[in-house]
Amino acid sequence: MDIPIVVIAFILAFVLFLVWMIVAFNGLVRMRNRVRNGWSDIDVQLARRHDLVPNLVETAKGYMQHERSVLDEVTQARSQAVVPTANIPQRALAEASLTGALSRFFVQVENYPNLRAAENMQLLQEQLTSTENRIAFARQHYNDEVMNYNTARLSFPRNILAGIFGLAPATMFAADPNDRERVEVQLSSSSRP
Amino acid sequence: MSSQTATNVGRFGPRDRESFFDAQRRNRRATWRMSFFCFIAALSMGIPLTLLLSPLIYAVLLIGAEIYNYYSPLPREFWLQVENLARLAQRVGNFIFNHKPIDPQSAILGSLVLFLPGILLSILLWLTVLTLFRRGGVGGALLNLSARQPSQSDLKELQLADVIQEMAIAAGVPAPQVRLVDGAGANAAAIGTGIDDAQIVISRRLLDVLSREELEGVLAHLIASVGNGDLRIAFTVTSIFEAYGLIETLINSPFGPKARSTIWHILRYAFLRSKDSRAREAEIVAGLLAGNVGLASDDIDHFFQSGSSKPSIIRKVLNFVFLPILITNLAIRLILWFFSTAALEPAVALLWRTRQYLADAGAVQLTRDADGLASALRKLNQQNSSVPGGGWASHLFIVSPGRSDRMQETDPSPEAMQRFATAWASSAGSTATVAGHWKAGDLKTEIGSVRYAAMQGDPGAIARLYAFGQAMAAAEGGTLPFKMPDPADVVAARNGDAAAIARLQPLIAQEYAGRQSQPQEEKQNGLQADGFVSFHPPLKRRLVRLERMGARISLPDASGSSRTIRIIVSVFLAPLITLVVAVILMLIAAMSMLSLLLLALWLGAMHGIFSLLAHH
Repeated sequence: MDIPIVVIAFILAFVLFLVWMIVAFNGLVRMRNRVRNGWSDIDVQLARRHDLVPNLVETAKGYMQHERSVLDEVTQARSQAVVPTANIPQRALAEASLTGALSRFFVQVENYPNLRAAENMQLLQEQLTSTENRIAFARQHYNDEVMNYNTARLSFPRNILAGIFGLAPATMFAADPNDRERVEVQLSSSSRP
Repeated sequence: MSSQTATNVGRFGPRDRESFFDAQRRNRRATWRMSFFCFIAALSMGIPLTLLLSPLIYAVLLIGAEIYNYYSPLPREFWLQVENLARLAQRVGNFIFNHKPIDPQSAILGSLVLFLPGILLSILLWLTVLTLFRRGGVGGALLNLSARQPSQSDLKELQLADVIQEMAIAAGVPAPQVRLVDGAGANAAAIGTGIDDAQIVISRRLLDVLSREELEGVLAHLIASVGNGDLRIAFTVTSIFEAYGLIETLINSPFGPKARSTIWHILRYAFLRSKDSRAREAEIVAGLLAGNVGLASDDIDHFFQSGSSKPSIIRKVLNFVFLPILITNLAIRLILWFFSTAALEPAVALLWRTRQYLADAGAVQLTRDADGLASALRKLNQQNSSVPGGGWASHLFIVSPGRSDRMQETDPSPEAMQRFATAWASSAGSTATVAGHWKAGDLKTEIGSVRYAAMQGDPGAIARLYAFGQAMAAAEGGTLPFKMPDPADVVAARNGDAAAIARLQPLIAQEYAGRQSQPQEEKQNGLQADGFVSFHPPLKRRLVRLERMGARISLPDASGSSRTIRIIVSVFLAPLITLVVAVILMLIAAMSMLSLLLLALWLGAMHGIFSLLAHH
């Protein structure tokens, strides 16, 4: 019954410390999982773009008899991007070349008013615009989550916890130079009102 | 927070920049501050209320006991306890009115006895409201029958579905469902209980008015708002108002049909499970409840004023029996009205404003584009922004929807209207004679919706319009209240005929003007009805904040003179308002005391009557 008050305080502090550790660790894990989830979201959106391209080419074929090379380029770039690979840089390259091919394609579309006005084409163009946006927003969300996670991971005292349990820092998804080029083209050719 | 804005408005040159992360942090802190004020306001309303409710509860219990005692006498100890309680009340009363000293023990016991039943009842009623309406969330009334899903073939509506997906991806949340309402107003709201079942209600007109970037801004605001948990906050806040409304309704229920029908609605809602329109029904009941807060409910006045000049003897007895409740009721109504107008509603409105600012900053984080939202807010504020069913839930909208009746159109003469209605009915192929009950508004709404469908290319609607035009020409060959578009033009326009589109343009413009002029069908009740602090932040302050987050807009600087005028006015108004508030508070205090006194006398009289009856 006569446990010294110091011991009680010590035990209390230890219990509080344990509780904090559990809460903080779970918080870090939650953030890391959000980062992973954000990464898979980007994948989903890239796959969506791959699914859209054949439709696009099919619609454009009838109108663009003389621009076979552009269409072939898009088809080829798509088929390269679809191939599953674990190599991230290689994948990024394939996606970038698909983006480039698509932007050249939309420059060509400008020369075909009938094609541009076709309802189907407008819908497809809206879908593609949306997909490009989704990829961008998925990246943005991913980067926000990475920032949250990394800040939490590096800030005291949670950095000690992250060190003990080996929670590695996440890397941001950097936009590549090709993307900037695309953005300019996108503005001139999009169906935005 | 507001002082910061004020200094920024008056400054020349570039304003301070603020990142959207900082803005969100600041607004989150402001939310805590405002929640505290709301809590204080709700408490300040609750204390006088419980002070009045407790004696009422005692009175009801005592009368019950007296009646029970009449048939089978209660034990003597019970009446001794009652007497002790009454002595305690007397001591407390003596302390308050006559400043007689009181020992601390009985003071504590007395205040406990005085406050506890009222507090318990209030909490019980509040929990009832919470559990009753939790499933519906907020804003169910917006989901009326005309709300529909976006079409897959309409480019604008497809764009809407896309933008919602994009914004949900940007926020990392599941995409909310979207419902479109057709109508003249351009507005959007998020409804539901939380992030998992949130729905976005958006008017079709908004899609026509805004560009893709602006639409992104609006939807990002709504999704950020849902993600921040605003729906839960809105629900909690409205539940407080509803709980107070329930108290008011219960007190009114012996007197009037309105309160009784409200209670009937609640019971039906609570025990009958109709799945399809549950959210909507919840909102209607909630609206009824909240509509009872304030001075507008008048059942009890009717009760005491109704009847002939010579009331019957039963009537007189009833009037006597219910007299103390009348005074209590008046006091409670005064308390509810005064504290909700002067304290609770402004506090809640300011809290809600910080949530709107927070959602604005969240929208900028999602879109990384403050321009879209800024220009959307500007456009929507210049537009008609009323949405059917939006009265009660107006705080959920991105801009205040209460600006519908700016343009009032005079109706054509009754005879013309009659001819018109007959022609319209005959065009539907019905031979039924059209009675005079056709209201011009109803007819216009119906024709408007058919014309709208025709403009969308619905062949049935086009045929109906053809028939109507012919019937009209046969009837008078004169002027039509609105010009008819040639349905052939509509079809041609759908196929991209530029000339047909040009012919239709003025008619479509007129269409929207006509729809705008329709008066809003329901009157606003509830939160916004008589509040003098709007739940929506002023456009200018929102724009100032967006500009600090990088929107490229030119805002006119606040001129110094208007601010001087404002200061002078407030210097003169401040003492006046203080005086009015003091008078009302004194009135409330006087009425509360009077009601307590009357109740005590009344209880004594009742006890005497019952003991007389018992002795006979």
